[in-house]
Amino acid sequence: MKKISRRDKLKIYGDLLRALDSEPKTEKIILSKVQVRINVPFDRLKQYISDLRDLGLIKDDTLHLTEKGKQYLMEYERVLEFMRRMGLTY
Amino acid sequence: MLNAPIQVLIEVVSAILCFILLRFMIKPYRLTGESRYLGLPLGFSFLGISYVLGAIAFAQPSFSINALAWLQLLSRTFAYSFWVVTYYFSKEPSKNSQVTWNIIISLLIVALLSSVAAVVIVPQFAANSYQATQIYVRIFNIICLIYISIHTLRSHLENPAPETIWTPFGFILLGISQYSLLIWAIDWSNTAFIGALVLRLAALTIFLLISYRTFYPSKKRCLNEKNFTQG
Repeated sequence: MKKISRRDKLKIYGDLLRALDSEPKTEKIILSKVQVRINVPFDRLKQYISDLRDLGLIKDDTLHLTEKGKQYLMEYERVLEFMRRMGLTY
Repeated sequence: MLNAPIQVLIEVVSAILCFILLRFMIKPYRLTGESRYLGLPLGFSFLGISYVLGAIAFAQPSFSINALAWLQLLSRTFAYSFWVVTYYFSKEPSKNSQVTWNIIISLLIVALLSSVAAVVIVPQFAANSYQATQIYVRIFNIICLIYISIHTLRSHLENPAPETIWTPFGFILLGISQYSLLIWAIDWSNTAFIGALVLRLAALTIFLLISYRTFYPSKKRCLNEKNFTQG
């Protein structure tokens, strides 16, 4: 049976930012939908969202990504892609 | 042998390439904060230092060439050792591997410092044993590069994509370059020496292209890559 590796906080934040970024910008984000997509318990999802808010990566009201959040996500994706190309696993 | 100014130029260009690459290679460590990725930038910085030492040695042939040659050989070998350890520990992150990584990296640093100290403190021994030692050290370097090439080739085969084949290719070129230097160390073949320099430059250019294409992608390439991954 294939072993499912545990995600660390960085990966969860990355998945969460990706999920929030893919939500339509005109609509309000529904947290239960995001929870299903990134597969974390609801109480922890709320904690992660509060962390991202404190870091200034998502907006307080709409939960959409701020400019800083978009930049962080772009850099995150690029570094992961670089590691994949260099043959490093993460 | 090549003219000294051309050799100096090649060493300087290689050092510049390594220090540019260092800027990209430190990014995985800075993002994840995991020390197991620290070997990549450490390796490139030691490789860059070895080329700087090479440039100094070629520019001033009368200036303590033995100590410089030793330091160049040591820094290059430790660069490859740091890469091997990084690739080995990039497989499975666990608490145990974290401890082992810390022990190995500390041992490598201690070994590096003691060998540099030995070269500086006992220069007579260093001068007499260089020729014999460099053959064994270069064989060790080739083994390190073969391991990294196999590792990167395997990760390419697990998820085949056109952009992941370049990394093993770069490491294979570095390995052949070390093999050419081994031939040069044994029979002073001029062709082997020139070939080693050309292959090394080609390998470093490949790594630089991989980095630039990842961090500064053109719009057209972005679309092509998206289509490839979706299709």
